[in-house]
Amino acid sequence: MAGPAPFPMRPTDGNNVNNSIKFNSLTRYKVPRLVLSPRRIFSDILSKGWVESAIPLLGFLAVVITIALTTDSYFSGSNMRILALYGADTGLVILALLIVVAVGGLDLSVGSSLAMSAFVALYGFHILELPVLLVLVMSVASGAAVGVVNGVLAGFMGCGALLTTLGTMITVRGLFTLASQAKLVEISLSARSDDLWDWVGFAQFMTLPVVFWVLACVALLTFFMFRQSRFGWHILAVGGNRKAARNGGIGVKKTIFSAYVLAGAIVGLAGFIYAARQNSIAADTGIGLEFFALTALVVGLGGFVPGRGAVVSVLLGFATIYFMNNVLVNSGFRGDFVQLVMGSVIIVILAIDVRFRKNRHRLLAATYLDPVALKLPPVQNMTGLMPSDLAPKLAEATVLGSGEIDGPEDVILDAGGNLYCGTRDGRIMRLAAPDFTEITVLAKIGGRPLGLAFDAAGDLIVCVAGMGLVRVGLNGDVELLSDQTERSLVQVQDDTSIRMGDDLDIAPDGTIYFTDATKRYDMENWGLDLLEGRPNGRLLSYDPKTKKTRTVCDNLIFPNGVCLTHDGKHLLVASTWTCSILIFDLADLAAGPRVFMSGLAGYPDNINRASDGGYWIALAGMRNPVVDLAMKLPALRLRMSKQVPPTDWLFGNLNIGGVLKVNGTGDIKDALWDRASGPLYMITSMREHKGALYLGGVNNNKIGRLDLPGADPDWTGPNRYRKES
Amino acid sequence: MFFFRKKMAPPPSLTLEGSLGPNDRLDEADAIPVTAPETICVAGDALLISSGRDLYRLEAWGAPLERVQSFEADITALTASPEGQIAVVLTGGQLQVFGGETPWSAPQLNGVADLVFLSESELAVVEHGYAEDQPVLSYAPWDTARRGQVLAVHRNGSTRRLSEALHCPMGIVAAGEALCVSQLDQACIVEVEGALRQQGFPAYLGRLCETRTGYAIACLSRRNPLIEFLKTEKSFVRMMKETIDPRNWIAPRATPEFAHDFPMALGATRLFGEIKPWAPSFSYGLIIETDKNFVPVGSAHCRANGHRHAITDVVEWNGDLIAVSRASGEILNLGAI
Repeated sequence: MAGPAPFPMRPTDGNNVNNSIKFNSLTRYKVPRLVLSPRRIFSDILSKGWVESAIPLLGFLAVVITIALTTDSYFSGSNMRILALYGADTGLVILALLIVVAVGGLDLSVGSSLAMSAFVALYGFHILELPVLLVLVMSVASGAAVGVVNGVLAGFMGCGALLTTLGTMITVRGLFTLASQAKLVEISLSARSDDLWDWVGFAQFMTLPVVFWVLACVALLTFFMFRQSRFGWHILAVGGNRKAARNGGIGVKKTIFSAYVLAGAIVGLAGFIYAARQNSIAADTGIGLEFFALTALVVGLGGFVPGRGAVVSVLLGFATIYFMNNVLVNSGFRGDFVQLVMGSVIIVILAIDVRFRKNRHRLLAATYLDPVALKLPPVQNMTGLMPSDLAPKLAEATVLGSGEIDGPEDVILDAGGNLYCGTRDGRIMRLAAPDFTEITVLAKIGGRPLGLAFDAAGDLIVCVAGMGLVRVGLNGDVELLSDQTERSLVQVQDDTSIRMGDDLDIAPDGTIYFTDATKRYDMENWGLDLLEGRPNGRLLSYDPKTKKTRTVCDNLIFPNGVCLTHDGKHLLVASTWTCSILIFDLADLAAGPRVFMSGLAGYPDNINRASDGGYWIALAGMRNPVVDLAMKLPALRLRMSKQVPPTDWLFGNLNIGGVLKVNGTGDIKDALWDRASGPLYMITSMREHKGALYLGGVNNNKIGRLDLPGADPDWTGPNRYRKES
Repeated sequence: MFFFRKKMAPPPSLTLEGSLGPNDRLDEADAIPVTAPETICVAGDALLISSGRDLYRLEAWGAPLERVQSFEADITALTASPEGQIAVVLTGGQLQVFGGETPWSAPQLNGVADLVFLSESELAVVEHGYAEDQPVLSYAPWDTARRGQVLAVHRNGSTRRLSEALHCPMGIVAAGEALCVSQLDQACIVEVEGALRQQGFPAYLGRLCETRTGYAIACLSRRNPLIEFLKTEKSFVRMMKETIDPRNWIAPRATPEFAHDFPMALGATRLFGEIKPWAPSFSYGLIIETDKNFVPVGSAHCRANGHRHAITDVVEWNGDLIAVSRASGEILNLGAI
């Protein structure tokens, strides 16, 4: 991505009496259409949930490629159909195991249960000669019955999944052996045949065996159960943290019981399929199946991971094991050699997967910060106006609400002269006129209230970091107006949520223009956005008539303060890290911004209109040559973020701040500073009201009030606003 | 090249923990305000204090300051001999010895930080090697050249070099038979013969003195992880030296005041107008007390929110530890050692 275009010097025109803005003669600001960075794409992908399955997928691909290279026509249609036919019942058993493992249990009885269900199916079909559908019901019921026993013992009585299912495994196997010995001859002598029975066992549907479609349907249902259904979520919650699930009001025992029963029913279905395909059973039917299924599950999940219903991963693990086993056996290797190879490959896949999942968050943390070079123009038009050149005018300000308000990022006054501000703990405070000593909570909204503005109805519109845009009535009613915008087209990360709503202003037509300062960092970590120096922010608009939020301009560098120009036709937006003010033409927003001011001496925060037709610009901090140099060196900032503790990171000077007074065309006319260690520092907002300037600071616990001799003593923001409307 | 890049010197290993753990001893010390104090020494029973161009004498703690003499330039180094001779070095490098039978002076010296009498007729002089317009605290951390040396200056005018190629030596003390020198940025104590006595101090070392129990080292500031990191960034250092006025370099500082054009660490942001004592800072007040082997056994601090930073000199006087804070312009009495 290219850095922003270098800023040209503004022609200084100190005696310009014409305050109209010549938008078209200003320099265009080049907004990147797309922020492309390999590092960012990598970190965005790493933060996706589906990355958890990356290693099973790679293992599967490696096995498939190896087979394709070494075995001729293994992946031919006919061979695939045979594999699908014989793998379906095992696949179902693995899904059943996944459900049980997801709820935090284990089921060793699946092999015995499958054999028993198959016997029940054959008994019902050949000896009782029942209709096939009834046979299916019996078979599923047989599996579910084993599930009920497991569920009662392991779920309701808390006997422990391993012991319980070991017990049922042996018991059901015993029952199966007894029953099958008694009826095996009779079953094998039966000559009954049935079209539906044969269709299930042998027919193909859309070139694949019917049983494969059964597996596919059950897999799809399981997938949506875990993703969408209440029961699926309960299973994951119980498996993830049993205590938390109970505290969350989930019936833990009931959920475990239901999971065992559901798994049992699926095993019953697998038994039915097995019976229909084989039309016979043997004494060793289902023996060893539980261990094969467990192996496939472990390869897919990367261990026994409760609380994770990763259907796709588990089926990938199954396919890996199944193909590998099948191809080795078909190639004529000895059984012990097959086991040796399978075991080694599984151990390698598991080892890599476990390491990857253990270190994924570290890799993500190490790659998230993605700095880029940011070249700033030198400080311009500040001759004689720097803190070292001027008497500190803010030293004369009076201090309001000292110690009683925590972090007034923005301040605003209503028509009655009452003062409002947001605080760190998510409240809107009201300092009552005329002496501002009576301080009350107007509303508790949570989040971190930042920018404030009054709309035409006299309600307070608030930009809240971590929430979005909120309307607060002066009676204390709170309404969320917007918390998301359109998703950018080319982005790995979902960026619909408004992450750091910062400042706003309201156009004469009622449209609210507001900034989302950074899409990548939260309020607590906004400093990281400076280290990154990338265009991570955006200008948004909210139309109260249609209640729609729209992205006006994406990819701005920390867009912060927003202010309508006096003519109501343009919009000023502070770009904090570039130390510049951008301007938009409201009639043609798509044309993009132009540079209104650049080369500021500090980091601009909020902007507000002044009574004389000019603007006030708050400087939250001061730039200095060393930070400017570091901004040109992204690799240095990246190394610093890794090697230096965060408290020691190089940063702009936030301990000094001030206010710039500019005229209507952006020429700096005055600068207000406090003493170096004075109480008014890091000034993030200022509001002119009836001949006085009110100053807020996001890290301060007070509001400053400075008399402005010579300013219009009747001028107020709301009055001005009504005139515009 | 990438694989064979020279490994950077590791930062000092000690941290401000254990016997170097934070306390308020410097903040709570008794103080006498003095204009532009730089160095002190004990002459007989009295304490001599440099104040810009003036030399003052203090007979007892609490007694009024008496002016001894005024010089034509600022005093940069000061010491006294057992027989009462007083040696001062002025900005510009002029050495003057008086108070004995015959005053004497020496040829031009460069950037003298400290000196000590070897005998009544010979002085060991520490030159840090930086010009007067090069503030040592700003330059030394970014300089790899070893410009410092120790010279023996005899009253007959002869000089001999005791040690050379030192990296910003700041103080000298007679440690038994040996002469030991503190190095500001290398944070170590070396003998003039070259042997390393102790290293890894978590501070930028200033002058030092012998005490009853060992030594006391005045520290100009504490080490800062950011500066230690930036030292490894060669191209950054080069660009900073080429393009930025030394006044605005990132460096340890002598004063805690904010300035709009000086960088800061993110954790030093004021909250509710206050700097937290534990905030990272480029200036700090610290005296390290060591045993006879220069192993730290105690410390006195003035933390990030204090004002008694940049301790330039320390002596034991009448059993009390006396220190100079350049930042607050005070002589501090920390009480009995």
